[in-house]
Amino acid sequence: MIVLLIFSAVAVIVVIWFFAAYNSLVNLKVRVENAWSQIDVQLKRRHDLIPNLVEAVKGYLAHEKDTLERVIKARTQAIDASGLQDKAKAENFLTQTLRSLFAVVERYPDLKANQNILKLQEELTSTENKIAFARQYYNDEVRLLNTQIQVVPSNIVANLSGFQKKEFFEIEDTSQKEPPKVKF
Amino acid sequence: MPFSFIDIEKEKNRAIAFLFLFIILVYFVTAYLLLIVAENTFYFQFFSEGERHTFLFPPFKHVAVAFVIAFLAAFLHWSISTSNLIDKLSLAVGALPIDPKDTYHQYFQNIIDEVSIAIGGRKIEPLIIHSSNMNAFALEDFAGRAVIGITEGLLSRLNRAQIEAVVGHEAGHIASGDCMNTTLTCALGEIYQESLSRVKVGLRNSRGRGSLFLFLIFIVLSLMHFLSTLLRCFISREKELRADAIGVRLTRDPLSLAEALKLITRNWRGEGAQGENLESIFIVNPRFNELDEQEGVMPDLFSTHPPVSKRINILLSMAHMDEKTLEENLRNFKRVSPVAKPEFISADTIMAKRWRIFKEGKWEGPFAPEELKNIAGLLPTQWVRLEGQEQVSPAYDQPDLKMLFIKTSEQADDFICPNCKVALQEYHYEGAPVLKCTYCAGAFVEEHKVSTILIREDYVPSQEIERLAKIIADSKEKIIYKAVDPKSVWVIDCPKCKHKMHRQFFVYSYPVEIDRCVSCSGIWFDKDELEVLQYIYQHKESFLYGGSSF
Repeated sequence: MIVLLIFSAVAVIVVIWFFAAYNSLVNLKVRVENAWSQIDVQLKRRHDLIPNLVEAVKGYLAHEKDTLERVIKARTQAIDASGLQDKAKAENFLTQTLRSLFAVVERYPDLKANQNILKLQEELTSTENKIAFARQYYNDEVRLLNTQIQVVPSNIVANLSGFQKKEFFEIEDTSQKEPPKVKF
Repeated sequence: MPFSFIDIEKEKNRAIAFLFLFIILVYFVTAYLLLIVAENTFYFQFFSEGERHTFLFPPFKHVAVAFVIAFLAAFLHWSISTSNLIDKLSLAVGALPIDPKDTYHQYFQNIIDEVSIAIGGRKIEPLIIHSSNMNAFALEDFAGRAVIGITEGLLSRLNRAQIEAVVGHEAGHIASGDCMNTTLTCALGEIYQESLSRVKVGLRNSRGRGSLFLFLIFIVLSLMHFLSTLLRCFISREKELRADAIGVRLTRDPLSLAEALKLITRNWRGEGAQGENLESIFIVNPRFNELDEQEGVMPDLFSTHPPVSKRINILLSMAHMDEKTLEENLRNFKRVSPVAKPEFISADTIMAKRWRIFKEGKWEGPFAPEELKNIAGLLPTQWVRLEGQEQVSPAYDQPDLKMLFIKTSEQADDFICPNCKVALQEYHYEGAPVLKCTYCAGAFVEEHKVSTILIREDYVPSQEIERLAKIIADSKEKIIYKAVDPKSVWVIDCPKCKHKMHRQFFVYSYPVEIDRCVSCSGIWFDKDELEVLQYIYQHKESFLYGGSSF
């Protein structure tokens, strides 16, 4: 009788623990999805801003057609990309082309003195930062979820209920990370 | 994050309970002392006839009465202090919502949005203190509404990365949950500060019996105020270090935060400015306090901020840099301005110019601006160029062509230049929207925007402005003591509210003649007056004391 009681008590505790672990995993997964939607919003915003920028500088940069065309091409690629890996790659390429465009803009004093361009540039910088922060937040959440899936007691729950590890949204371009400048 | 969300919530509830118990205690002590004093001094008997009680062993009744009074008073105090928590405190520090048309404010809004994404998309409202000092604060209430405010001085003197680091620090307070404790503590202490200052004014103006009564209230309030300073013990000075750490974790940029702290401490941080007694909400204590720069038990208890040098050292070690290099970098520090310098074009040059427009694949024209008006289908996005020049730009980019399109907007008809009677158009000067007349180059600026513009330093003044400012500096005595003909004082009407404008000096120390509206306090600047005033303000030391060196 006593053995039965102890056994059932243990069984109840295990079931409760199972539910709790499952719920916390679900919670983490929802947070990861939410973080991803943040990135998506900002990426879309950047795609929407680029035509405005191109329109605004087109007249000035008649001799820099290549740079502009590369930006437009990169944008189309980024919009068409599907899947996390492809998306990250296309977005990185877009960031690089935008950088080269702004480097060109720096060479034209008329452009630099134009309030509209400055405003667009500020908007794009802000969006780039937002993308970076959203990615940072997303990767943090993914790290939490992936750890939870792999650590010892809760990995049983994760395996039983089919939780998958999520991919990080990586950047390949190292210059984009911009570590604090170190001088020796 | 250092805590999980649930830990933060638990911590918050504990803090609220502590604070409530603390104010009950404060009121209990005060009520009890008052009862005893009243009984012994005025021979006023409460309950017992003839008995005298010693201070230490009170009868139960006194304690009970004092406790009931304390509970009621604490409840009242709590409910008054915590309603509209954020609005009250931001009013106390003089923070206002941002102006969405102002370029600098838009840029601040962007920074806030970025950082709010970094802490997981939580909404944060931006506020601005219209003051030239440098500081920043964060507030949060029970409902989870959070605001971050910075001063105009900070906004106009730091670069983007540094502002981002400061905002990251403030967001760190919000994310770690200590922001609400600080807000609550400040709100609870603020009530005494405010009533004390009111009683002081009353005391100065009253005579006789009334003043004796006020004096008693003054003493009681001072006691309460003293006790409430103990509330500061609740605010750990470590919270600033923690917020620094979270801020760096969000922005990944310890160097910018170190630079920002260095620049803030080197400048006026707000001593004597509005809200300086709410020091614990700010990133750096507005008042210089020796206790702040020390370590030990006393500073840990009573100081609200850790030593700035310690904070900078921690940040520098994260950035692998030493203080000397930081100093060196700051010496060469050059801020990138968020606004482009416009060129003002006088009326006769506009008339002389003739434009060609790009239509259906070929350049047409040249046209004078008044002819362009009559051309069907001239759009703001059309490409135009000046006759005889290669430079091409869209029509909306040309200030003098912009007028052609602006006529259709509703605002233009409401504001008329008091001198030329033509519609004023919106212009950005130092990022702030002002209404400018394109013919006489006069400008109408609303009252609060004037101080904003004076603080900003991104436009380089022309030599003409310097020359005018020097003339004023050389003859300022003559200007100030000049006899004024009363007839020449009421010359123009306010473009905004149509009331009379009073011609006067901006202030006597900066004797630039302006017209100030008697109703809305908006200011009309004739051509160059705003620029000259700004130049004088930015060189005020040499203007006021330098004499000929100006």
